[in-house]
Amino acid sequence: MKKVTLYALSTCPWCMKTKQFFKDNKVVFDFTDYDLAEEEEQQRIMSEMEKHGSNGSFPFIIIGNEVIVGYNPEKIAKALGLKK
Amino acid sequence: MGRKIIMSADPAVEARKKVLHNYFEKVVDKLGYKFTPDTALVEFCLEQEVKLEQKHGSPFCPCQALIGNREHDMKIVCPCIPFHRKHYDAMKRCWCGLFVHKDVTYPDKLMQIPPDEIK
Repeated sequence: MKKVTLYALSTCPWCMKTKQFFKDNKVVFDFTDYDLAEEEEQQRIMSEMEKHGSNGSFPFIIIGNEVIVGYNPEKIAKALGLKK
Repeated sequence: MGRKIIMSADPAVEARKKVLHNYFEKVVDKLGYKFTPDTALVEFCLEQEVKLEQKHGSPFCPCQALIGNREHDMKIVCPCIPFHRKHYDAMKRCWCGLFVHKDVTYPDKLMQIPPDEIK
């Protein structure tokens, strides 16, 4: 199973939908709400996002080696290898 | 979105949501946008924006990060369409989906597309 990491905002409805998508599909995932994190952790997250060319848009999803920015169920399912 | 409409228990938050709604409606109309027909999403995003305004001083986008750089952060004050015009026009919606192009009837089909994937 690929490692799944989600960087989210507690205020973001699409981040909530992403979390729900993972739960509905029984996907084990780590997540951090950027806005609720300590400053040091925020800097680490932003640095990682910037490496992938992101300007701070959430949700930011890492599935294995693949990065998906934004809530897109089709892309997420494909990256996870989920059957339709 | 299948989400229940969330009304704040705080009358001050509800009052501010109405003020922002009226103001945003006029601004985005001139930009070729309108509020999404998804009323649950509108209620939720406005609620978050009022709370962000209470905490940080401006109604920032609830789906983009404040990074502490004023030049960056002021570009995500709602409605942030003018700062992301090409990107949002390509998606026919803003990043959080609060606003859609005026010709959009069914917003559920509009996906979030990162700027580097916009041709």
